Amino acid sequence: MADEKFIYDSLQDAESITQFIATLRDGFENGKISLLTNGEEIVLSPKGLLNFSVKAKRKRDGESKLSIKIAWKESRGGAVIPGTSPIRIES
Amino acid sequence: MYTFEGIDENFKFIVMDVDAQARTARAFIESPEAGLYRKIASRDDYIDNLKTIIENKCYARINGDKTLDPAQLNKIRAIQVICVNLERIADFLVNIVRQMGFMEDQAFIHRYLWRDSFDVIQESLGHILDGFRKENMSKALSICKAENVLDKLYKESFDRIMLELKSGQNIQDLVTTLFIFRYFERIGDSILNIGEAIIFAIIGERIKIEQFEALQRTLSKSGFSESVAEIDFKAIWGTRSGCRIGRVGRHDSEANPASDRQSSIYKEGSLEKIRQEKANIERWKSLFPGLVADVFGFHEDEEEGKGAMLVEFLQGCTLDEVVLTSEEEFMRNALFVLEQTVRHTWTATLRPGTFATGYMSQLRKRLDGVLRMHPEFWRLPQALGRAVVRSTEDLLAECEAVEQDIPAPFTVFVHGDFNINNIVYNHETQQVHYIDLYRSKDYDYLQDAATFLVSNFRMPIFEPALRGRINLSIAIFHDFVKSFAAERGDATYEARLALALSRAFYTSTRFELNHRFAKEMFHRSAYLMEKIVDHKDAGDWEAFRLPENILYL
Repeated sequence: MADEKFIYDSLQDAESITQFIATLRDGFENGKISLLTNGEEIVLSPKGLLNFSVKAKRKRDGESKLSIKIAWKESRGGAVIPGTSPIRIES
Repeated sequence: MYTFEGIDENFKFIVMDVDAQARTARAFIESPEAGLYRKIASRDDYIDNLKTIIENKCYARINGDKTLDPAQLNKIRAIQVICVNLERIADFLVNIVRQMGFMEDQAFIHRYLWRDSFDVIQESLGHILDGFRKENMSKALSICKAENVLDKLYKESFDRIMLELKSGQNIQDLVTTLFIFRYFERIGDSILNIGEAIIFAIIGERIKIEQFEALQRTLSKSGFSESVAEIDFKAIWGTRSGCRIGRVGRHDSEANPASDRQSSIYKEGSLEKIRQEKANIERWKSLFPGLVADVFGFHEDEEEGKGAMLVEFLQGCTLDEVVLTSEEEFMRNALFVLEQTVRHTWTATLRPGTFATGYMSQLRKRLDGVLRMHPEFWRLPQALGRAVVRSTEDLLAECEAVEQDIPAPFTVFVHGDFNINNIVYNHETQQVHYIDLYRSKDYDYLQDAATFLVSNFRMPIFEPALRGRINLSIAIFHDFVKSFAAERGDATYEARLALALSRAFYTSTRFELNHRFAKEMFHRSAYLMEKIVDHKDAGDWEAFRLPENILYL
């Protein structure tokens, strides 16, 4: 399967950002975040262990940045399917 | 003996030329003549050239011939090292001859044992071709030992010359003689490099001569053999714990596979460590005779603080090889045998009574090692708005306090370093064996459980199918640990396992150069400690649940 990607760049204000964050919050609570581009949907299922990193920066000229990254492996967390190991390597 | 077109021939010539140079230099010191001097000077140019030619050929071969196997590669590298050192010896010989020109009385040197030094040098040069071509270990060793003899001769002359200088007479001749002996001593250093290069070509392992001497003593004590020359020394792996391990078998074992059973492992390390391991092996042996290897020989060197031991080489493969390379059925069987063995040893050595574990203090002991490799694995206190991030120090301190509240309900005799590659599985006999036992002691069984689980996890293998195998191995063993805990009514086991896993994840990062993977383990360690600390207020440790997905990548 090809990689799926969703990109969204925009200009917002603090009020609209609060709404986005609230949506994300619901997504994490329900374990499902759906993202739609031109009819194509990506559904993320954040469950189990999630890598979380926050980076913040404020430059002297006032330019500021806050990036939040949440990454995870969806097969993670006991994705062991005993008896179905597809590999076979002769020693 | 492998042959390398051209290089072999050149190599033979350079050895012979340096040997001839030594003979001529000796003749010159006996009776200096202009003709001999010219001969020495022109041969030195020739040796320089030859060395360059051989070096070029060695590099061309190493870079250009992709079909070379590791043994051939080692031999070419050895030839290169030997030639560099031979050329250096030739230079020293020229310098010695030049020094004779500074003598006021050229017979002065005959008062000293310069001929003894030449005897040693010439004898060593004479062993190089045979030692290298016939892979003759005793010749290689005798070459190495020349350095020691030349050092002693230098020291004796040095002491004598110092004393004689005080008389204020023959100053120039005394200083010149001292220079000459100093060159003999430096020739000794080059000879040692040559001997070590030959050993490297034979066994494919860099080894220091003292280690060989320790081996020889251990072997003769064990009655294994009188001479190292009869032994085929194959270094099979060096462990991370600072021990050097090699496999020793008789030379004829290839012709007669049955004699393989006599193979053994040679281990050398600090005296304390080797002694401890020997004592532990004996205890294991008395409890479970077939589980661990026999000790054939043991040698202590109090002065050096080193010990050497010859232990039985156990047939089979290490469990990590089984997990990664065998068929699933084979692997499941191996893990079943392991489970039976572990259950048996834990049950048989179980001693009831609470026992204070030291997982957090074990972690603290490894902090330096981890932080040297990954300085950023030490979190400082942080806050994200209302959310507070606990520092590593905080987590450790809080977990230490928790650890005191949840002692283990009993002890068992643990392996102490229960890594997946410290377990050998023999499919024919359906047995597992334990190796590397110097940390064995009576302790919480979760020490071994956590080490085993994380040693699976930390294998730097990410290919999904193989990772699935690792995860399966983890799942099977974890199920077993759970059932053992339940049978024994060990109610706080999940909390203790969290602490033990946290330790194992954290300390494992010190061997991991892949930063992303190391970080993954560091985060898991911190996550487990955070879960423990979060649960602290509830206080009921029997209710703590280990987040099991922490075990799987």
